[in-house]
Amino acid sequence: MSARTDVPAASRNEHRAFFEDLALHQPLETPAMTLTDAHVALFTGVGGPPAPEPGAVPDLLPLCISSGLGWRVPTPPLVVLAFMGFEWRFHSGLRVGDTIRSRSTTVVKRSMREGGIVIEEREIVNQRDEVVQSGRLTLLVAKRAA
Amino acid sequence: MLSFCTVSGPVPRLLEDFAVGDEYESPGRTVTEADIVLFAGLSGDYNVLHTDAEHMKASIFGERIAHGLLGLTVQQGLLGRGVPGYDGLRLESMRWKFKAPIKIGDTIRVRARISGTRASDVPGSGVVVIARQVLNQRDEVVQEGETEHLVGRRG
Repeated sequence: MSARTDVPAASRNEHRAFFEDLALHQPLETPAMTLTDAHVALFTGVGGPPAPEPGAVPDLLPLCISSGLGWRVPTPPLVVLAFMGFEWRFHSGLRVGDTIRSRSTTVVKRSMREGGIVIEEREIVNQRDEVVQSGRLTLLVAKRAA
Repeated sequence: MLSFCTVSGPVPRLLEDFAVGDEYESPGRTVTEADIVLFAGLSGDYNVLHTDAEHMKASIFGERIAHGLLGLTVQQGLLGRGVPGYDGLRLESMRWKFKAPIKIGDTIRVRARISGTRASDVPGSGVVVIARQVLNQRDEVVQEGETEHLVGRRG
């Protein structure tokens, strides 16, 4: 999608990060979240597949949770205009009770006329620091209003 | 349309049960405002794209849009629902593109085709590759990609 959402004046004053603010190769680690039966139930409620077996976490749920964990880091949230795509690997399954957090690094910045393309490398790790899922995400990020 | 679910029931599907070219089209599901609110709460992703109706009136979308990952989640559920014995398949890897917005009230479905099968290096297992397109009620492709799944094999 090449969509550009205009940033209204009210939002411009907020504590937000734009394409120009983003530094390459600065690792960022999120707070953690313990995966519960409630997460699995809500995930199934919005239409996701049921857990493959009792106590197992559906494969796509950790990725969904990591998207929100990214908003809870100490740096201002990025003005993402569109999530364009991703490549992802599932290294090992997770169980209810496991605690995940995510580590990410911006590896590519490409300036466009409207906004900029950002490629982020992300790893989801469990409570034993094992990487359980990882991949690269492509985002369209807003530039500062001229 | 044919299904790749001729084998159903509790028997796990093995590599040999998947034929390249087999296609399946799922039932549809209407994505509602409630789905988006629940998904924002579940994921913690409260981006204005999904949660601020007033802000989005001024955007090129004109309204809130569903999280891309919500669409991904829904298609995964639709595929599992439509193909008995398929929902147990674990994901190994995937490549995915979000091509167009899913808006409140849009009805999406998934079209899936077995695009490849191969023996894995791990003895007794194989990889099934599924090419998928998520379509809306106007038959526009809103998301597409390929998923790889590790399965058992007889040979």
